[in-house]
Amino acid sequence: MANAIEVHNLTKYYGDLLAVDHISFEVRQGEVFGFLGPNGAGKTTTQRMLTTLLEPTEGRIIIWGHDLARDPYVVKRQMGLVPEESNVYTELTAWENLMFTATLYRVPRAERARRARELLETFGLWEKRDVKVENFSKGMRRRLSIAMAIIHRPTLLFLDEPTPGLDAQSARAIRDLIRRLNAEGTTVFLTTHQIEEANQLCDRVAIINHGRIAAIDTPERLKAAFRRVQSVEVALEPDGQVHGGPLGALPGVSTAVKMGDKWRLYTEDPSALLPQVVRYAESHGLRVVSLSTLGPSLEDVFLEITGQQVGTVQHETRERGTRRAMGEGDRRRRG
Amino acid sequence: MRKEWLQRLRDEVAQAWAVAFKDMRVYYLRPGMIMFGFLMPFFMFFSFSVRREMAAAQGVARLLALTVFFTAAAAGPFIIPLERRLGTYDRLLAAPMSLLSLLLGKAAVGACFAIGVSAIALIVGVVAFGAYIAHPWMLVGGVLLGAFSFSALGLVFGSIPTRNPGDVQMPSTLLRWGLLFISGVFIPLEEMAPAARAVAYLSPLTYAQDLMNHAVLGMGLLSPWLDLVVLLFAGILFLLPSIWMHRRSRRLGY
Repeated sequence: MANAIEVHNLTKYYGDLLAVDHISFEVRQGEVFGFLGPNGAGKTTTQRMLTTLLEPTEGRIIIWGHDLARDPYVVKRQMGLVPEESNVYTELTAWENLMFTATLYRVPRAERARRARELLETFGLWEKRDVKVENFSKGMRRRLSIAMAIIHRPTLLFLDEPTPGLDAQSARAIRDLIRRLNAEGTTVFLTTHQIEEANQLCDRVAIINHGRIAAIDTPERLKAAFRRVQSVEVALEPDGQVHGGPLGALPGVSTAVKMGDKWRLYTEDPSALLPQVVRYAESHGLRVVSLSTLGPSLEDVFLEITGQQVGTVQHETRERGTRRAMGEGDRRRRG
Repeated sequence: MRKEWLQRLRDEVAQAWAVAFKDMRVYYLRPGMIMFGFLMPFFMFFSFSVRREMAAAQGVARLLALTVFFTAAAAGPFIIPLERRLGTYDRLLAAPMSLLSLLLGKAAVGACFAIGVSAIALIVGVVAFGAYIAHPWMLVGGVLLGAFSFSALGLVFGSIPTRNPGDVQMPSTLLRWGLLFISGVFIPLEEMAPAARAVAYLSPLTYAQDLMNHAVLGMGLLSPWLDLVVLLFAGILFLLPSIWMHRRSRRLGY
C-alpha cells in the first residue's frame, strides 16, 4: 500500500526549546491515523508542519510522493485542514463561507453550488445556509469547518481535536462523518488527546511524548503489548468502598483504583487474581455484586507510555513490548 | 507548459480577488476601519484647514492625498493580526496559492477602500468647494498607485508576527503621523527648508500630494511621471518586508 505521508527526521525548535525531536513515521493511503499525546507533546506542532503552516527546523516531509518543501502547491490542493478552533468567518453565512473556500481551492464554478448544497445537506446545515455563522452553535461551526475543509474533495484530511467541547450527539455525528470520509477513500490524520476517540476511529496510532514518537501501532496491538495493565474489576456489598486497602494488598495487584462503586485491581495475571478476590469476599462475609476482567484500554497504554499515572499509583517499570519508532531512545534532546 | 502557467496565473488572480472580496465583506464596517480609514482623513483635513486661508482647490488636493494615505493604510495593520488571532489566517496560508497572491489580495482590500473613500472626498470637493480637476488622468493614476502603495505600507505592519492587532496599531499609527508631518501635506514643499525637503523626499506621501497638486491645481513641484514611478516602486518595495516577515512568522509559528 502506498504512503500518503512520509516523515523523516522531522524536528522543530522554537528558539532553544525543542518541540519536535527528530521524528519519523509514515501514514498509509486510506487509513485513519491517530496522533496522540498529552498537552505540549508536539502534536499540533507536527500537524502544522505537515500542513505547511510551520517551517521545520530539520527533516523532510513527503506527501503523495511530493516533497512538501519543494512542491507545496500540488500538495496543498490535495489536503484539507480542520484546525482545533473552528476557523470560520462568523460575519459570513454558511453558504458564503463555503463559496469562498471553493473559490480559494479552485473548485470549478459549475460544481461549487452543487457541492456546497451536498455538504450543507450532509451536515444538516442546509436550512441555515443563509444564516450568519455568528448565530451558529459550536457544533454547527465545527460541522461547517469540516465541510469547508472537504469542499474540494481532498485525498488527505487533517483534523486537529475535532470533538472536544461538543455535545455527545455532535461528537458522534462527527465521528460517523470521519468514518464515512475514510470509507470513501480519504486518508485521515487525526490529532487528538481523546484516547477513546482514537481507539474507535484509528487504524493505527502514534503516541508522541516530549516531542518524540513513543510508539506506533494498531490500537489492539498496543494494548496487547501492555498486558501488565490488565485488571480485575469488582463490586462488593455491603460497604464495598472500604476494602481498597486489603484488595490492593492481594498478591499480584500493582494498583487498586476506585471506579465509582467498584474497585479496579491492576495486575499482570487476572486469572490468578480472580479466585483470591472471591476468597477475600467469602472470608469477610461480602457479596460479590459484579466481577469482571478487563484488558488494557488504550488509555492505560497511553498513560504508561507517557509516564502518567494509571489511577492513583505511578507504575515504575518501563518495559515496552511494542514496536518503537525509529531511533527512539537514541536521540538526545538538544537545546 | 505555457498553458499550465497561464492557468496558474488565472487561479492566483481569482484567489487574490476572492481574498480581497471576502475581506471587504467582513471588515469594511469594523470600527478600526471606520475610525482610521474613513473618519481620520476627514478629521485631519478639517483640523488643519478650518480658519486658514486656503484656496478650495488646494484644500481638495490635500483632502484627496490624506484620504488615499489614511484609508489605504488602515486595513493592513488591522486585518492580518485579527485573522491570526481568530485562526482564519491559517485557512488562507494553507490554501493552494502563493504568498504574493495572498498579499496582493490583502493589499487590494485597503486599495479598494481608499479608492471608494477618495471618490467621496472628490465629490465633496467638487460639489461643496467647487473644485475643478485640471488633469483627471493624473488624479486617477495618483489615486490608484497611491492606494496600492499605502495599502502595501499598511501590510508591512500587518505582517509583524503577532496575534494582537493592538501590538501593530501603535507603531503603524506613529509612522503614519510621522509621514504626514514630513510630507508636504500641511506645509507645501516649496516653502520647506532644504533639509526638511530632503527628508520629505523620503516619504511616498510627498509624491502622492505632489501628484494631487498636479491633478487638481494643475501645478506641482516635481514631475508627475516621477511621482507615479515613485509610488509604484514604493508599493513594490513595501511588499518585500511583508514577504520576509511572513516567512519569519512561518518559522516562529504565528
